[in-house]
Amino acid sequence: MSHNLITEEKVFQELKKAIVETLRADENSIRPGTSLINDIGAESLDFLDINYRLEQAFGIKMARHFVLEHIEEMFGEGAAIDENGLLTEKAIELLKIRFGDNMPDLKPGMDMDEVPALVTAQSIVQGVMDILDSLPEKCPACGNSAWKSDDGGKVKCGSCGENAVYTNGDDLIKEWLTKVQEEKNIF
Amino acid sequence: MRIFQGVDIVEISKFKKVFLNNDSFVSDIFSEKEREYCLSKKDPYIHFAGRFAAKEASLKALGTGMSGTGIDRMFKEIEIIPGASGKPVLSFSGWAKKISGKKGINQFTVSISHSENHAVATVILTGRDTV
Repeated sequence: MSHNLITEEKVFQELKKAIVETLRADENSIRPGTSLINDIGAESLDFLDINYRLEQAFGIKMARHFVLEHIEEMFGEGAAIDENGLLTEKAIELLKIRFGDNMPDLKPGMDMDEVPALVTAQSIVQGVMDILDSLPEKCPACGNSAWKSDDGGKVKCGSCGENAVYTNGDDLIKEWLTKVQEEKNIF
Repeated sequence: MRIFQGVDIVEISKFKKVFLNNDSFVSDIFSEKEREYCLSKKDPYIHFAGRFAAKEASLKALGTGMSGTGIDRMFKEIEIIPGASGKPVLSFSGWAKKISGKKGINQFTVSISHSENHAVATVILTGRDTV
């Protein structure tokens, strides 16, 4: 659930900081719609570094598996990727629900390797916000509802001092896929 | 026959910095056998960087790209360990294996080289024709 302890703006600022430190990019050139690959020239090592920096800044664990992999694991072989490595119509439908306006160029039949270029600053911020929103209402260690964040980054319990524990990125994707399938019966 | 090719170059000093700044990088990206092999060398980072370049070249050859929004596990699922002759041998597991299976890929070759500050790798995959 959302506790509004860490704002989307704070996550965006932290992402900008990570991009500037990793890629030596001009901070003013980074906007929510900026493609990390097309606009800033990020490579895989940069993506890894940026994601690790966000994990450290917020005490979270980003997904280790791509959403397409989760789709095939949950809904069967060929559900997301056809035999030529192209995205299926149903996979695109799901990705559009997940990323919405953050990835307007998603289209059925596109190659898997076209997707990373569609990753924008905003889609990364959204991924982090989804994890932060998984903070339980009460602290699992002491049962009190006293979360606090002194710096707008890491959250800890104001009662017992335990660090906040969030649902990891992969489990959140699976939960989300289950919910969407129940609501829309795509597969 | 279809041929898939990928190439990648890694700046070793940059790679080393990312490696050392992030505690889980080595276990997220490299298999136990890869870690054992690289850590047995005088300068492990050159060998880790070469393997990282080979993993990235494999992603390009497979046509998957990286996931972008997370720590892509496919890096670990692409393993490069020395064969009997000492030449690097490439193998896939998990999602990487699934994608290579979809594309009918049945042969893999990898070549790695490095200079003082750069590691480079090429990967060639061959597979059956699809429609």
